[in-house]
Amino acid sequence: MDDQKQYAKLFNDIDSQALISLGIILASVILLTVVSQRVLNGLANRLHGQVRFRIFALVPLTRLVILIVALAIAVPIMIEPSLRNMVTLLGAIGLAIGFALKDYVSSLIAGMVAAVELPYRPGDWVDIEGTYGEVKHVGMRTVEIQTPDDDLVAVPHLKLWDTAIYNANNGETSLQCVASFYLHPEHEAQWVRKALRDVALTSAYLKFDQPIIVVAEEKPWGTHYRIRAYPVDPRQQFLFITDLTVRGKQVLSRAGIKPALLPPDVALEAPDVAGGRRGLRD
Amino acid sequence: MPQRSIKAASPPWEIVALEKFSTPQNTQASQWRRSWRAAATSLVGKRAAEQQAKDEDELRLLPEVKLAHLVPPIDWSSAAALLSQTLFQHKLDNEPVVFFITPPHGGHAPIVSHWAEQQGINEIAPPTYQELTGGSLEWVERCVPLKRWAVPALERHLLRHSYGLQGVRALLERAFSGRLGQGVIGCDSWTYAYLQHVVGVEGAPVFTLQALGGEQLAHYFADIANNGKDDICVYSTRTGNPVLGHSEEDNTAHKASAHKELQRLAAHCRGHMGIAWHYWRARLRGAAAAKGDDASQDTSQELWLVDALADAELSADTGDVAMLVLHTLLLHGGLEDQVLGDVLPFSHHEALNARLALARQGILARKEDGRWQVAPLSYASVRQLLETRNYLVDPL
Repeated sequence: MDDQKQYAKLFNDIDSQALISLGIILASVILLTVVSQRVLNGLANRLHGQVRFRIFALVPLTRLVILIVALAIAVPIMIEPSLRNMVTLLGAIGLAIGFALKDYVSSLIAGMVAAVELPYRPGDWVDIEGTYGEVKHVGMRTVEIQTPDDDLVAVPHLKLWDTAIYNANNGETSLQCVASFYLHPEHEAQWVRKALRDVALTSAYLKFDQPIIVVAEEKPWGTHYRIRAYPVDPRQQFLFITDLTVRGKQVLSRAGIKPALLPPDVALEAPDVAGGRRGLRD
Repeated sequence: MPQRSIKAASPPWEIVALEKFSTPQNTQASQWRRSWRAAATSLVGKRAAEQQAKDEDELRLLPEVKLAHLVPPIDWSSAAALLSQTLFQHKLDNEPVVFFITPPHGGHAPIVSHWAEQQGINEIAPPTYQELTGGSLEWVERCVPLKRWAVPALERHLLRHSYGLQGVRALLERAFSGRLGQGVIGCDSWTYAYLQHVVGVEGAPVFTLQALGGEQLAHYFADIANNGKDDICVYSTRTGNPVLGHSEEDNTAHKASAHKELQRLAAHCRGHMGIAWHYWRARLRGAAAAKGDDASQDTSQELWLVDALADAELSADTGDVAMLVLHTLLLHGGLEDQVLGDVLPFSHHEALNARLALARQGILARKEDGRWQVAPLSYASVRQLLETRNYLVDPL
């Protein structure tokens, strides 16, 4: 009987006024979250460059602030915020989470960490366990990534705890792209290096305030050249790589440089574990 | 048209080293204002976003004959004479190469051509399109060593094409080594910025025209109007205040107000006379003629300057294809349709389609030599948009 009274004391009397207040808080949270996300996403999508990434970064942060403020207002309506009550409540919540909702809550908490630490934000190009694409939305529980194949992949935030997250541009506009060329070993390497550099320098997509590097690597079957350069906008990366590849092949072919032909028994390099991103960029 | 004397209609040119170039006061504020205006126009519409003291519908276009008297073409020969003085003052006569750069419509080609003519110096002819796209160096081989030489428009000597840089590299290598003799190279400021990355041209001295302020523009526009003989009065439709006034009204407060309005124009044009001249010519209007009056017989000297910053602005959501076309045209100092298709990473049809759309919006204009270039009245907004999207922009 005493225990029942004690638990009853934990919660305030939930009368109609309290219910209305909670309803208003809930409606306000939903409204503010939807409006803030639409406005900020809409604004960011109309902009380009660094400002776009700054505004995108505000989306999850704004939602987190709205939630914290709502909880700070709603909790005292439901319970008497004494130390004893809070310990009891948090203990009960902890027990429920431990048994039933561990992963779900872990994702929610990781989502809050992601909103503060910003390992990814909308507009970033990330690779999480082989899924490479542009971050479209950072939600409460998941991050939505749009792949180059136009698939929308929802990755739970809890990957943050134990998975390497490759962020290709990290909130900036600079994203390195790599175009590969596999050439027969007999050629004038210095000429090829200069020609490939000119191919990059004459690309309409090139970002000029970043370096252009042509890397040559000797392999048993020939020479592997890579142009490492940056497009003006990360969203142009595939067009940029294609432009470099097409024009690079044209220049090399016109100079009579043959591509490397692998004998059938030579194994190709092991496919990259990361898949999409590195497969495209390396 | 009578030839104007240099003294009467000469702009207040000043040729300075590139590092001493500075944009006029309020240039940054002008850029913010342009962004704000674009946002306001998209929210409330064009008419509502523009607060006007004078209804522009009540004004009429000036006849071409009158415009030709009020705003005659810029006489670049005076700047050529100044270039000659500058080279002498800086003791650059023995430098193998001196660059003279200006932005589009800024006059580097006519200035260097005038300079070469005044000095009796040969010009190096640009290569043909086939030589540029074929990577041929024959046109460089044809450049025999001269004591002195000039290139009025270096942008005609290269293409942003896989084979379009070899020639200009070879030319500049010969020029920098002194094997060609001493020369002056006129170059578009955008091409110069590109060459800094693809060839490396920092070793040579670079000069440009210093930016002009509102007061200098006011003096120049007053001087060129019928050789300064006529007393014209120009009012702003935005504020209703005089921009150029009668001499008897020339008190300090009046002048300050007029210069403030033209300072706004100078800031919008980044102080470039070539651009400001086009604005001035395109924006002058006459008061509406009374019924039955013949516009061509108009002798009224009351003129209006319609809001200089209102038209030919690019919207912030302009697509990537249009941006690439605009950037390519600026880097080459203008291109013909065929060449444009060759230097863009998409088909000729797409390039032509994008060019047509931009021309229809008034963003592009065809030059006398048939090349398409960013129109003078759009230049400021195009440059600003390219800069915000991280494209390579010129140093001016």
